[in-house]
Amino acid sequence: MASENAIQGWSGVDERSGMIIEKGHPFEGMSMNGAVLVLSGGKGSNGWSCHFHAAMILGITPAAMLFPKMDARTASAAAILGIPVVTDFEEDIFSLVESGDWIQVDGDAGIVRITKRDRPGKH
Amino acid sequence: MEHKVFLTDEENDMLLGKAGTMKQKAMEVIVRYADVLGAKKLCKITKAHLFCGAHPFMLSFPSSDPDEVISKMLFCSDEKVALDRYECPYCQSDAAPMDSEKWRSMGVAEPEAKRNEQFLHRFLDSGVHLASSCIPYMLGFVPLMGEHYVSTESHAVVLMNSLWGACGNADGVEIAFSAAACGRIPLWGTHIAENRKGTHIFRVLCNVASTHDWDLLGYTVGRKLPTHSVPVLVGAPRPNIVDLKSFFASLATTAGPEICHIVGITPEAPTLDSAMGGNKPVRDVTVTEEDLEESRRMLSDAGEGSVQYVSVGCPHYSIDQVERAARYLRGKKIAEGVTLQVWTAPQIRYLADRCGYSKVIEDAGGVVLTGSCPMVSEKLPKNAAGLAFDSAKQAHYLRPVDLMQGKKIYYGSMEQCLEAALSGMWKE
Repeated sequence: MASENAIQGWSGVDERSGMIIEKGHPFEGMSMNGAVLVLSGGKGSNGWSCHFHAAMILGITPAAMLFPKMDARTASAAAILGIPVVTDFEEDIFSLVESGDWIQVDGDAGIVRITKRDRPGKH
Repeated sequence: MEHKVFLTDEENDMLLGKAGTMKQKAMEVIVRYADVLGAKKLCKITKAHLFCGAHPFMLSFPSSDPDEVISKMLFCSDEKVALDRYECPYCQSDAAPMDSEKWRSMGVAEPEAKRNEQFLHRFLDSGVHLASSCIPYMLGFVPLMGEHYVSTESHAVVLMNSLWGACGNADGVEIAFSAAACGRIPLWGTHIAENRKGTHIFRVLCNVASTHDWDLLGYTVGRKLPTHSVPVLVGAPRPNIVDLKSFFASLATTAGPEICHIVGITPEAPTLDSAMGGNKPVRDVTVTEEDLEESRRMLSDAGEGSVQYVSVGCPHYSIDQVERAARYLRGKKIAEGVTLQVWTAPQIRYLADRCGYSKVIEDAGGVVLTGSCPMVSEKLPKNAAGLAFDSAKQAHYLRPVDLMQGKKIYYGSMEQCLEAALSGMWKE
């Protein structure tokens, strides 16, 4: 799930269902469960990480998160969730990835491998 | 644990558990956070504004023991930590899930209220003053220029950084509690002068004459502000603190800034040049009447309609706003079947009671509530077909909520909202 639009945590992520509910966001109506979220960052309430945290307690979590640059909201989530999070890419991530692509993330090594959905085999 | 951030001997001792399990777990969280950010070292905080109470997100953890819930949800610890006094010398609570006195009128059941008090007392024992408000800066929580603090309230961070030159980031709730407990936060973001300079200029070409206009302006600037930017406002008329309370609340709704300079008003912006600090503007944006109108259309359902619920006071009303509401309602009665809630801080209600404003509002059929709001409490009227708010923040955040689907959400000035409560109808 890739979008340059930052997302709100409070009233943006429904922790009980895992659905993105922010009005007008490209992810509205999609579930974050098991997805790799690629976003420019967080916005809105400082209570950003706590919604992902609560969802995780309820068994719902993104597989990984990718941000071109960290901010206090997203870094809080990264520190708390313990899922792979990668930042500071060498290239513009949004020109390389779009929603529906397959992504392999190695958080420890900081390596992201993209397989285009319409071009299987193309990395 | 392995870490990259530099720690002093005292910080290292906390990490090793020499100052107890609470500070150890808290320091583990802060060190992980520092490493994610790439911070080189930590700094001491002297104020912490914390989202205390039995909040819905906390209760996703299935335990009836508040200490277990606090340990897991706030200190990210699987083992129960011995809750101790926080290291930060001044802690004050943010909004709670309910009014600690008038919870019945919000539709809260007694066990829920008891559980909330139980949680609040655990925080009180840790040294947190139970102010239960999103406007800490009107209630004694005043970080000075260069002072490092944490706050769980997004608009309070922008306001205190912008107006006073204080240093705080939009850290998450868990980070804020851990920071309070160990008294440290990564030296990163607005804690460093270099990161506070303007990046985007916003030229105000629209008419901004009331608190409501400032509320709309904040929402509009936020809509146009890219992620990780520092806006600089030029050409706005002189605001007062109540205008800015609304402006920063709606700005921090549609965007995520931690500081916003207002040329001629905020201390780091005596001139546009000083606000930019040598930065070349990434963009120079104008804000017009059409932009404000677009925001209004996004926030308020079109046309007229019946209203059964009216809520004003987000962010919590100051005493002069409560008085203004009372003056509007004096000698009048709200329509039958309408609930009118006026939200403020507990301390301000004490003052409003003393001055007789609360009684005027109650005589008109309204209620003055404290310590929470419709969004934070999640206590929303199930049967209302139309709801009215004087805050872009409430209108915006409520729109996606499940219970709101199929209902009309109206947004306007305090006077428009109070008029809707009196007539039972929203009029444009």
